[in-house]
Amino acid sequence: MKKLRILLADDHVVMRSGLRALLERQPNLEVVGETENGRSTVELVASLKPDVVVMDIGMPILNGIEATKTIVTEQPATAVIILSMHADESYVMRALKAGARGYLLKDSAPADLLTAIQAVSQNKSFFSPKVSRILAEDYVRVLKQKGGVDSYDLLTDREREILQLLAEGKANKEVATSLNISPYTVETHRKHILEKLNLHNPAELILYAVRKGIIS
Amino acid sequence: MTGPTGKTPIASQPTAQRRLGSRIALLVGFGALLMLMAFIGADSLRTLGAFEASNNRIRQDFLYREHTLDQVRAGLYESANLMTEYLLMEPSPQSREALRVQLSSIQAEASSALKACIGSLPAGTREPFQHLATEMEAYWSTLGHVIAFDPETNARKPGSFLSGAVRQQHAKALTITKELSVLNSEDLRDAERRIAEASGQFRRRLLMIVIIGLLFGLILAGGTIGYAGRLEKHLEEKYDESLQVQQELRELSKRLVDTEERERRAISRELHDEVGQSLSALLLDVQNLTEISSGEGTLQKGLQNIKASAENCLDEVRNMALLLRPSMLDDLGLVAALEWQAREVSKRTGMVVDMVEKDVSEHLPEEHKTCVYRIVQEALNNCSKHAYAKNVRVVVRQERNHLQVTIEDDGRGFDPRRMRGLGLIGMNERVTQLGGVLTVSSNPAQGTRLEVDLPLPNA
Repeated sequence: MKKLRILLADDHVVMRSGLRALLERQPNLEVVGETENGRSTVELVASLKPDVVVMDIGMPILNGIEATKTIVTEQPATAVIILSMHADESYVMRALKAGARGYLLKDSAPADLLTAIQAVSQNKSFFSPKVSRILAEDYVRVLKQKGGVDSYDLLTDREREILQLLAEGKANKEVATSLNISPYTVETHRKHILEKLNLHNPAELILYAVRKGIIS
Repeated sequence: MTGPTGKTPIASQPTAQRRLGSRIALLVGFGALLMLMAFIGADSLRTLGAFEASNNRIRQDFLYREHTLDQVRAGLYESANLMTEYLLMEPSPQSREALRVQLSSIQAEASSALKACIGSLPAGTREPFQHLATEMEAYWSTLGHVIAFDPETNARKPGSFLSGAVRQQHAKALTITKELSVLNSEDLRDAERRIAEASGQFRRRLLMIVIIGLLFGLILAGGTIGYAGRLEKHLEEKYDESLQVQQELRELSKRLVDTEERERRAISRELHDEVGQSLSALLLDVQNLTEISSGEGTLQKGLQNIKASAENCLDEVRNMALLLRPSMLDDLGLVAALEWQAREVSKRTGMVVDMVEKDVSEHLPEEHKTCVYRIVQEALNNCSKHAYAKNVRVVVRQERNHLQVTIEDDGRGFDPRRMRGLGLIGMNERVTQLGGVLTVSSNPAQGTRLEVDLPLPNA
């Protein structure tokens, strides 16, 4: 089996060496490079074309989120996992909007990072359990404060099924194949789901799914 | 601190004394000027009155003397006429008696008038009138001789010796009255000349006094203008000074705000990057160790403890860093930071915070980001701490070159004219520094609305 090629982007040497130690113990992973700022990460991704970038947010010159945006547009084959200290929704939301597939906290269990790397390399999303928990708690709190209806209740069973598949990172076509329906039907469902949940883009859809604990 | 406060009273004492001194000088000066003017007025009135009185008196004296002379003259003419008639008539004892009576009455009248006139004259001027009186007495006695003359003799020598004597005396008296008339006129002219002289003198004196008064007034006015000028200059200096102090204070407060923000950011970064990252690395190492050293119950337990403490510590550090200055502000921009803050406040206080943004750039100038963030932070703090609001709505909108922020709550409100806390002053200071305007509208029990309008530099 081909080893997954990984690039580490973090401005802290201690952090990078810890990560390298962790990842290199895995037989199927290979750390191909390390960078300490967003700009050089973008450059290195262009030349090394790694499978996965494990990226910090707070980095000099260009921050991790801006770097992710560029990488996702220029090198769509490379998946980005954000490894950050920030558990806040603002960061998660923006990381997702920038195109990151995974979001992990730096104090997550090493096993989570390994799972995340596997997941994003298969085009799926992955979030730290702590992030999922925080987002879910926030969602419940806002719902309670505003006294609104949980819009999830408005979805049909089919729509919930499709929401989960979409949130896992599957394209319309893949969803259609696995449910044995036409891609157009999937698109219609997708529109309805976004409308009912008052969401506007795939990033928000994923965030919503995380909040509801549909995916982790 | 003791320097300026100790200096002020010492410095102000001579100023107060000087102020009192110049006030007294002004008071005395103006008082004197007013008194001088009053004196000129009174003196002029008095002198004019005296002139008028003496003028009247002189004229009356003249007329009185003229009148007396007229009376004397009339007596002369009348008596002469009577005498002529008598001499032409057929003499009889009756007519002679009648003439005597008539003549004596005329004489009495003229004499008494002349005597009264002489009596009214001042001692030095009586002599010419005395002379007239003597001549008149002579005239009357001549007339007496004529009447006493024998009618026969009279008939024989008409108009002879006696009537010649009467005519002579008559002419003499008339001449004297004429001379007196001339004298009287001269007297009048003399008096008028004297009056004219005196009035000239008076005019000169008045002119002198007026000139002195004017000079004095000029000096006083000059002094007053100079004093006012000095005061004005002093005031201007003070005003400039206060402006400068204000400017310096503003500068200082700006530097204070800047420094605080810089320090906060430095500490926040330090906590987050150094302490936080080191803790993260530590956690990672601990986890690596845990994996490697499988078995060994006590070691595993110790590692678990270290992990738990490190995680706690990391959370603490993270929170501290965020509270000092949210990293989102630098990493993700203003909107993200405001959203985070809204969520945090909402979580902490139970207040529903709605955060709406419209067209806000992710790359606002550093100062503007910080300004809006701190204002919203302070406002939200006020909403929960003082206003006991349930709902807050924060709207941030960017329109061309302006950043507009509105923070509205449904709390208990306050009277912005009466209450102006340090928080509001600080907000205002931040906004003013960036050339913006902060408007607070609130009424007790009607919530509060805070509006900020910040001009953005042309990017």
